[in-house]
Amino acid sequence: MTKLAFERPIIQRINAGLPSKYGMSHRLEPLSHIDGTPIKDLIGEFGSPLFVLSESTIRKTYKEAHRAFSSRYPNVQFAWSYKTNYLNAVCNVFHQEGAWAEVVSGFEYDKAIANGVPGELILFNGPDKSTEDLQKAIRNNSLIHLDHFDELYEIIHLSKEMTERPKVAIRVNMDTGIYPKWDRFGFNYENGEAWDALNRIMANKNLDLMGLHTHIGTYMMSVDAYRIAAGKLADLAIKLERKHGHVLKYIDMGGGFASKNTLRGAYYPGTDTAPSFDDFAEAITSVLMSSDIKPDHLPMLILETGRAMIDDAGYLVGTVIANKRLADGRRATILDAGVNLLFTAFWYEHDVRPVQPVSDQTEDTTLYGPLCMNIDVIRGNVMFPLLKKGDQYVIKRVGAYNNTQWMQFITLRPNVVMLDSKGNPHLIRKREVLETINSQEVMPEHLKQFKL
Amino acid sequence: MPEMVFVALIVGLKQTYCKNTMVKIKKNIAISDSGFVFDPGSGDSYSLNPSGLEIVQMIKLGKDFSAILEAVTEKYEVDSGSFERYYYDFIATLAQLHLTEPDGKD
Repeated sequence: MTKLAFERPIIQRINAGLPSKYGMSHRLEPLSHIDGTPIKDLIGEFGSPLFVLSESTIRKTYKEAHRAFSSRYPNVQFAWSYKTNYLNAVCNVFHQEGAWAEVVSGFEYDKAIANGVPGELILFNGPDKSTEDLQKAIRNNSLIHLDHFDELYEIIHLSKEMTERPKVAIRVNMDTGIYPKWDRFGFNYENGEAWDALNRIMANKNLDLMGLHTHIGTYMMSVDAYRIAAGKLADLAIKLERKHGHVLKYIDMGGGFASKNTLRGAYYPGTDTAPSFDDFAEAITSVLMSSDIKPDHLPMLILETGRAMIDDAGYLVGTVIANKRLADGRRATILDAGVNLLFTAFWYEHDVRPVQPVSDQTEDTTLYGPLCMNIDVIRGNVMFPLLKKGDQYVIKRVGAYNNTQWMQFITLRPNVVMLDSKGNPHLIRKREVLETINSQEVMPEHLKQFKL
Repeated sequence: MPEMVFVALIVGLKQTYCKNTMVKIKKNIAISDSGFVFDPGSGDSYSLNPSGLEIVQMIKLGKDFSAILEAVTEKYEVDSGSFERYYYDFIATLAQLHLTEPDGKD
């Protein structure tokens, strides 16, 4: 006779009468497959924990974003934000879809070049561009987005030494009615600094002013802020044409679109509150189309959105290490992936699911990572099914920033696989081994020996 | 006659052992057949999942850990090591919620 499946015994206090915005108890559906591939098999083949990226989701999301803008505006170009996820395979999916590269350091610039992106299709942002970086970008005809006057003066200086003409844009910061106001990058609009910088560029005969750039914030929930920003950039473009007769090639609205992840402390889930690509597109393009920019002079609209493009495509799967009970009686479940791998756990209430259907019963649980650190909390106080040691879990929407901000701390970083359009896994970043870390270290001769 | 003394001794030892490892649910705790638990002392109510209810019912019948273990492993797909962990965690939770008699008063 086959035995029945066993479920851990639990008892839960009934909080009758307490108001609940959800009404019914929340049941977490298991997620056993990604793009038709069993998570259990992926862990079996590539180990646990494991990052899994879905190529189809990246392509689908890109197409959705592109359609939202290109159906409203005649000339749209996306540039992949390398810092959001610069695993080469991820970058190349975006490049295959037609995205240029948007980089913010010499390292990222070199990565884009190594991936085969033509220099003239690289947008070079960021406050830290070394002289060598700038020389390289000028030689490659890359689009250099100036962040401050020191950079402008350095470019002017380099333009006198080099034969190539630097192609530049300025980054503009502004009040878009949101808090916090991002005013540390670029030139300010309201105090006239941006207009001043544009005039200085126009006065210099060695520079080609190509466009205007802004990046108003991150995880933006308000499309109105983009409407205001687009209006201010359009005003600068109109003033440039009026005063200098100069027609800009592009307006770059940056990124910062919210993904569907839920911010910590948010009242409603991100799936309900994040504006859609259509919402952002409508806000930006309607302002540009109805501005005083002449129809035949409408600049190319560039978008550098990262988070909203890749978050949904990433999953972190792994295994439960142990369960324990905390001093106040709540359950603690220890996962084999911690905040060293899932940096975004500091910002988001990540959607964590069991892989196998385990139980309809849930318990107030804190999900900890494996690090010997008190801050290693993946989710605090979540009603979670009763997973036991060895059970598998999956964390959704981890594609943005985790593969770039993860840390080699206490444990080594795991394998990353990408599932192709047929669901076949491809290893795109190998797990680290002791040698990966030790190969970068140098032992002074006098420290090589010791006796204990 | 010596045999009877020996049997009595064994029974006595077993009872002592059982007494030491047995948990008692407080007498005033009401438990329904569907797993609803009411503590009239505190006014709190609780819900047990089916396996929790089954274990509590066995405890109320006076079964000790080894008897419960035997009954559960016979019926369910669970090894004794895992069940022991879940059982003692469950019992600790019952104690934390003041649903069992404090140690030594059973």
